Amino acid sequence: MPVYIARKLAFFLLAVFAASVLIFLLIRGAGGNVAAVILGKDATAEAINALSRQYGLDRPLPVQYFDWIGNLFRGDLGRSFRTNEPVTDLVVSRLSISIPLCLSGLVLGLLIAIPAGTYSALNSDKPVGALIALLSQVGIAVPVFWAGILLSLLFGVRLGWLPTGGWTNWDSNFWGAVRSLVLPVISLGLILGASLTRYVRSAVLDVMNQDYVRTARATGMTRMQALLRVGLRNAALPIATVVGLQIAELIGGTVIIETVFSLPGLSRMILANVAAREVIVVQSTVMLIIVFVMLVNLIVDLLYGVLDPRVRLTR
Amino acid sequence: MSAAATTPVPARPKKRRGRRNLTLTIGLVVTIAFIAMAAVSFFYLPHNPNVPRIPDRLLPAGSPRYLLGTDALGRDIFSQLMVGARTSLMVGAGGALIALVIGTIAGLSAAAFGRIADETISRSADIMLSIPGMVTALVLAATIGSGTLTTILALSAFFTPSFTRVIRSAALSVLQEDFITAARLYARPTWFILLRHVLPNVAGVMIVQFTLYFAAGILTEAGLSYLGVGVTRPSISWGMMLNEAQQQVGISSPLAMWPGLSIVIVVLGLNLLGDGLRDVLDPKLARRTS
Repeated sequence: MPVYIARKLAFFLLAVFAASVLIFLLIRGAGGNVAAVILGKDATAEAINALSRQYGLDRPLPVQYFDWIGNLFRGDLGRSFRTNEPVTDLVVSRLSISIPLCLSGLVLGLLIAIPAGTYSALNSDKPVGALIALLSQVGIAVPVFWAGILLSLLFGVRLGWLPTGGWTNWDSNFWGAVRSLVLPVISLGLILGASLTRYVRSAVLDVMNQDYVRTARATGMTRMQALLRVGLRNAALPIATVVGLQIAELIGGTVIIETVFSLPGLSRMILANVAAREVIVVQSTVMLIIVFVMLVNLIVDLLYGVLDPRVRLTR
Repeated sequence: MSAAATTPVPARPKKRRGRRNLTLTIGLVVTIAFIAMAAVSFFYLPHNPNVPRIPDRLLPAGSPRYLLGTDALGRDIFSQLMVGARTSLMVGAGGALIALVIGTIAGLSAAAFGRIADETISRSADIMLSIPGMVTALVLAATIGSGTLTTILALSAFFTPSFTRVIRSAALSVLQEDFITAARLYARPTWFILLRHVLPNVAGVMIVQFTLYFAAGILTEAGLSYLGVGVTRPSISWGMMLNEAQQQVGISSPLAMWPGLSIVIVVLGLNLLGDGLRDVLDPKLARRTS
């Protein structure tokens, strides 16, 4: 097990390093002169040079890279060019919206997918099982922002039960904040749940066809008992993998859903900074998101080792 | 373990095949209708979808001259949907196609050129997979500006690692076949074996994956255009239409229906087509995932 953990940790560090180089080069390489990008098309050469000198953008790329990475490690994400605010401060306040949104969406998705997928797998030859499979197929085709728009039309505009958008701070009005998050979380959870249902269904179907489940059934267990005692632990492996992979999807969904409901979260901040060409802010926040996703994948990998002894022995 | 052992009664596979054919048929019909709609938009549009006609604004569906009504600026919805289909087709298929080509080359190389190549390519794919696609697209929009080309680029960057992984594992199983050993005994060079023997045998997987990522590309493009970092006018995207509709949602909810329904129908159709094709072309995978 220690070797397994060490290998996974080493790969995590390598991945973070590679991704940071990639993002850095993408932004510096594809965008050309960062100072020129920030100042826009009408900037004079002098203004560009001045800005480059001020932020050290005229130094060699490796120096700039290590400077950026070193600061990231110290929790310094750089400063906004326009407002001169530290990016770290901006990010922290935004995270109090994005993290609850993202995690609740994930939890709701799992709460839908695990029972629905299991039920549909155990009843795959009955109409209900087929109906769940069909609903999940349709749900996969629904864009998360359309789900958001329709929900806000129904519960916000038509029925007036919940806000269609906007945000009140956690400290000033806790229940107001919760109310603002209900529709976004439902949109995210429904769509995520639809695609996860499919994976849960096929994982459970797969497990139910295995010899050990047949053996368990031969001892007199019902299908449900066999699934709970020996099946679920095995089905958990592929499901954990898919959840890890879906984290990247989920973050994409969160970016969009924050826009649908005008929530001032992290992704809205990135979008605003893309529009304002705040290249450094985008670079740092994007890196932060990538590290988060990679961390989740690391945890999933380690969990995999715990769930399945074969994994840690063979790799 | 084997599928034969778990197939309980002989009557069942027949019924299943019927359902699979239905899936394939529905998917095919929807996909052809979608492509036809996009193709017709090049030759014929009921109205110019970008010219506002304020007196005709917010007409309901079924109005004379406007099949699905007009938006807040009096632009014909149906014409916009037609041009939107064109964008979805171009961006979705374009992104999936580029990813297919690069992913196939990378996947075949990983499978055939030894451990170092395999580790390098597979680990790079793993790393790229953990970068959220939406984020890649935002970075590209920030640096090279948004637009149709950027969107296609972002999609292909996003899909390439998944293609690489799927093609690699398909190629690995083909490479274990006896006819590959036979070809090696004839001292055929590796590239020849890949082109002549492996590629035709992974073609089914390639087609299925292309269809599924085509659908995913349409969804992602709609999302990006909804955010305003994808396609911009005078091009029209269903996602962009939804963004514009949301500004008017309090007034006219039908505006938010048509583009959303179009996305759902087309993506569902492509996914059904992909699943149907998988059953026909790639029975091994179908058994694992159905």
